[in-house]
Amino acid sequence: MSAKASVTNFIPLLDIEKEKARWNQVYKVLTEPKPDIVPTPREIIWKKNKSTLYYHPAKEKKYQVPLFLVYSLLNKPYILDIGEGSSVVGGLTERGYDVYFLDWGSPGYEDCDITLDNYILDYLEKAVKRALRHSGAKEISMVGYCLGGTISAIFTSITKLPIKNLILAAVPIDFSVGIVPDKWLKGLQKGLINFDRLSDIYGVIPSEYMYLMFRGLSPVYMSPWINLITRAHDEDYVEKWRRMDKWTKDTASFAGAAFKQLLNDLYKDNKLLKGELWIGDRKVDLKNITCPVFVFSTSRDTLVLEKQSLPVMDLISSEDKTYEVFECGHVSLALTGRFAIFADKWLSTRSNKIQ
Amino acid sequence: MTKDKNDPFEGFKLISEIWEKQLNGLLYMMTDNNEFVRLLKVGTESHSRYMELLRKNQELMAGVMNMPTKKDVANVAKLSVQTEEKIDILEEQIWNLQDSIGLLNKENLEMFQEVVNVVKQMKIELQKMALEIAETKKIQAELRELRQGLVDIKIIQINLQELRKEIEDLKGIKAELKGVNDAADTTAIQTDLQELMQEVAQLTDIKAEIATLKNLFQKGKAKDKDKDKDKVKEKEKEKELVLTGAGASKS
Repeated sequence: MSAKASVTNFIPLLDIEKEKARWNQVYKVLTEPKPDIVPTPREIIWKKNKSTLYYHPAKEKKYQVPLFLVYSLLNKPYILDIGEGSSVVGGLTERGYDVYFLDWGSPGYEDCDITLDNYILDYLEKAVKRALRHSGAKEISMVGYCLGGTISAIFTSITKLPIKNLILAAVPIDFSVGIVPDKWLKGLQKGLINFDRLSDIYGVIPSEYMYLMFRGLSPVYMSPWINLITRAHDEDYVEKWRRMDKWTKDTASFAGAAFKQLLNDLYKDNKLLKGELWIGDRKVDLKNITCPVFVFSTSRDTLVLEKQSLPVMDLISSEDKTYEVFECGHVSLALTGRFAIFADKWLSTRSNKIQ
Repeated sequence: MTKDKNDPFEGFKLISEIWEKQLNGLLYMMTDNNEFVRLLKVGTESHSRYMELLRKNQELMAGVMNMPTKKDVANVAKLSVQTEEKIDILEEQIWNLQDSIGLLNKENLEMFQEVVNVVKQMKIELQKMALEIAETKKIQAELRELRQGLVDIKIIQINLQELRKEIEDLKGIKAELKGVNDAADTTAIQTDLQELMQEVAQLTDIKAEIATLKNLFQKGKAKDKDKDKDKVKEKEKEKELVLTGAGASKS
């Protein structure tokens, strides 16, 4: 046996082509600008301040009842329309639904006094009204994701607009539990930690601070890079990774007044669960929700716990209510487009199929 | 071939995931205490205080230098947002107007449709009426003829009565002449009788004519009655049509 042969037997063989492809992709990710996110074909039907209401027509309309998507205020909503193949909006339009999608926009310094009341009554309610008028439909289905689900639930309980169905995905309703350390939560509930002054002085919480807040929840965050290097030879994976990486770092700013209200009314006093929350001059009582409701959580969710979503099932008065837990993570639910599959399965029998 | 070759990153990934979880867990435990919460409180408060001071000084300096600050720009931006809100309210009001005008137009269209229908019905009824009037005129003329016929019949009746009287007189004369055998008289009587016979024959003819006239008269009456009935029916129909027309226009 020659020396070369013994060395090759001793050192495990590497796939040179695969390694070349892997490091080329890593180099590309490090040097090239962030990718452009191509949205599903859409039309702007209303704009107010920084908010925009998009209309995504169904590829082949199969249902009379359109969908209205509401995303969280904490991140940018394009996670629900992240590009062909993995877009939630695209998945829904392909399945025959007309989709209306409200982008809250990133508030500027002039929006420092926008509260949750304003977001719900002056933006969301008006947007839903416009979506109803634009579609000509008699009813509309609300689909809320994450904090957007909380907002959708609040809105559905106080509005007089015709809401046909309500879908709440990975929704926090009970704020007495959470992913943050227990002492932090108690400190917040007892008033030891208070961000009122900070919110007032900043006016609008900068997007960088919001990003840091998310990073604070998991300070060691190497797994995305490890995942990229491990699967960098797969071009499709790299493309999706780049889009996700862009979204993760592209956080939205948060209006100070809404931030204060979110922390004080929801996290500190848990008013939504207790039925003590007021939006404008309307009292929020989730018992007022009588339409069919579908709530689902994700088993690997590290942002919203199942315990936070479950109480909504006892609070609503709907006779037709479904709760399910799906095997995926909080972000991957949207990023893989599986959200559309889960939603369609439940919605298809409740959206007045066109004969 | 590729499957057989080793991918060192798979193992690296597994190890790093474990490390990441453990390190995050460690940090979680390290910060999950009241001391950290107090530190956070002090940190946010002091940061807020210094930021407040900085902003105040910024405003002061900008005021001295007569320069607009972010606050001033925000105030202008707020005005544009207010304008946008007002336009939205106006747009919604225009929607309401559009909706009510649309509803009115729809109602008007329905009303005009009804008016057109009623006018069409009236036209048809007018034509029917004109036909009926023409028929009534014909009937009137026939009635006049019948009246004339009746007058004639009455005259004939009077004549007949006179003839009867004459026959009765003749019968009396005949009875008186039964005993007389005069041949000359007999021939005279015979000629008289022949004349009488002829008159009787004429009378029977007249009777037959009167009978036919009576039949005609009765038929005419029956026709009038039928026509009267038809007229009543048509009038009822007209009433019904008018009523339905009025009802639809109300609705």
